[in-house]
Amino acid sequence: MVLKLYAAPQSTASLRVAQVLHEKNVPFEFHPIDLRAKEQKNPAFLEKNPFGQVPYIDDDGFVLYESRAIGRYIALKYANQGTPNLVPPQSDLKATALFEQAASNEFANFEVHAAKIAYEKLFKVRLGLETNEEVVEGAIQQLNVKLDVYEGILGKQAYLSGDSVTVADLYHIPFGSRLYRAGLGSLIDSRPNVSRWFNSLLQRPSWVAIKDGIVGTA
Amino acid sequence: MVLKLYAAPLSTASLRVAQILHEKKVPFEFISIDLARKENKEEEYLEKQPFGQVPYIDDDGFILYESRAITRYLAVKYPEQGTQGLVPDIKDVKAWALFEQASSNEVANFESLARVIVYEKVFKVRIGQEPDLKAYENAHSQLSAKLDAYEKILGKQPYLAGETLTLADLSHLPFGTRLYLAGAGDLIDSRPNVSKWFKALKERESWKEIEKGITTSREEW
Repeated sequence: MVLKLYAAPQSTASLRVAQVLHEKNVPFEFHPIDLRAKEQKNPAFLEKNPFGQVPYIDDDGFVLYESRAIGRYIALKYANQGTPNLVPPQSDLKATALFEQAASNEFANFEVHAAKIAYEKLFKVRLGLETNEEVVEGAIQQLNVKLDVYEGILGKQAYLSGDSVTVADLYHIPFGSRLYRAGLGSLIDSRPNVSRWFNSLLQRPSWVAIKDGIVGTA
Repeated sequence: MVLKLYAAPLSTASLRVAQILHEKKVPFEFISIDLARKENKEEEYLEKQPFGQVPYIDDDGFILYESRAITRYLAVKYPEQGTQGLVPDIKDVKAWALFEQASSNEVANFESLARVIVYEKVFKVRIGQEPDLKAYENAHSQLSAKLDAYEKILGKQPYLAGETLTLADLSHLPFGTRLYLAGAGDLIDSRPNVSKWFKALKERESWKEIEKGITTSREEW
């Protein structure tokens, strides 16, 4: 049975999963979840994802949530099709370790700060709430420090864990793209190596296919 | 050459790694990094860990940082020794996926909130700064909702990824224990399944050895 993606068309975590499905040429049915109607807090949804967050998948009865877990599952299950080595084979211990290092950085050193900016400058504004400029300033400061380090790393290698693209790179795209929407694209564009890396990710067909909203492919 | 752990004795991320060195019985030399003196921001340190954070390891010349990357590396490198099953068999794709789900929850749904609670009520107090009570209460009520989900999950299975203890469970210990220091231990204690699960983790020998701080190298097991 075809894989079902329960997600919101423009949710960052949902986009993260949709991109990997495209990279690995995995057909999927898209079941949109209405976040404004708080569909993700309904008992039926909570049965599948008790944290009440999008997305989750139902892969022929196997239910999985947390976008980064889903992406890794797709990369592992479909190792032999689509873009290779989005997660390096575990038989290569050092490549695996360096991949895990990059993947950990993505959440701890990038998303933590980028998500605050997206929340204050985009999400809150959409709901008519007031942006906390102090939080935004703090997050910008932190991102500047972290992206200086990224600039150094990406001066020595094409991607974050080495010479080929992995999900550790791809997972930056949803919140990275929101930095531009928040008027803060300079954080990326002012750094030549980071800019080169990020723009190459944005140009991947898998991102182009979904950037204006997820559509099913099955 | 014996593995070198560059870490701070009471740093949460350092403790996360030290616990797994114990669980997998990996000999290690402990090199203490003085955070108060900002040793982690010195050029020599930044050459190895460019983000200037603790810990990192030097495993016979192989440098690795980010505590959760290090613990995964240790679990995969030493499958036959020490505690078994800390990561599932990679050939069992579904088991691996459920482990990744639990691991992602730990970072996104637990630590991200516990960290705010501990920062406001422990760290700030220690350096004589005023806690932001709104931020604390926000984080507290969000973490409460997350732990309601944990309570459901742990009512159906003993560990977060299923029937076996994995790194995903153990990773909760550093910030979980600090919740008590922040006066927020009721988040755990008020939930029977979460409480039982967490207590058992705290009582593991690997945690008891280091809970007061990493103090020594361990050349033999």
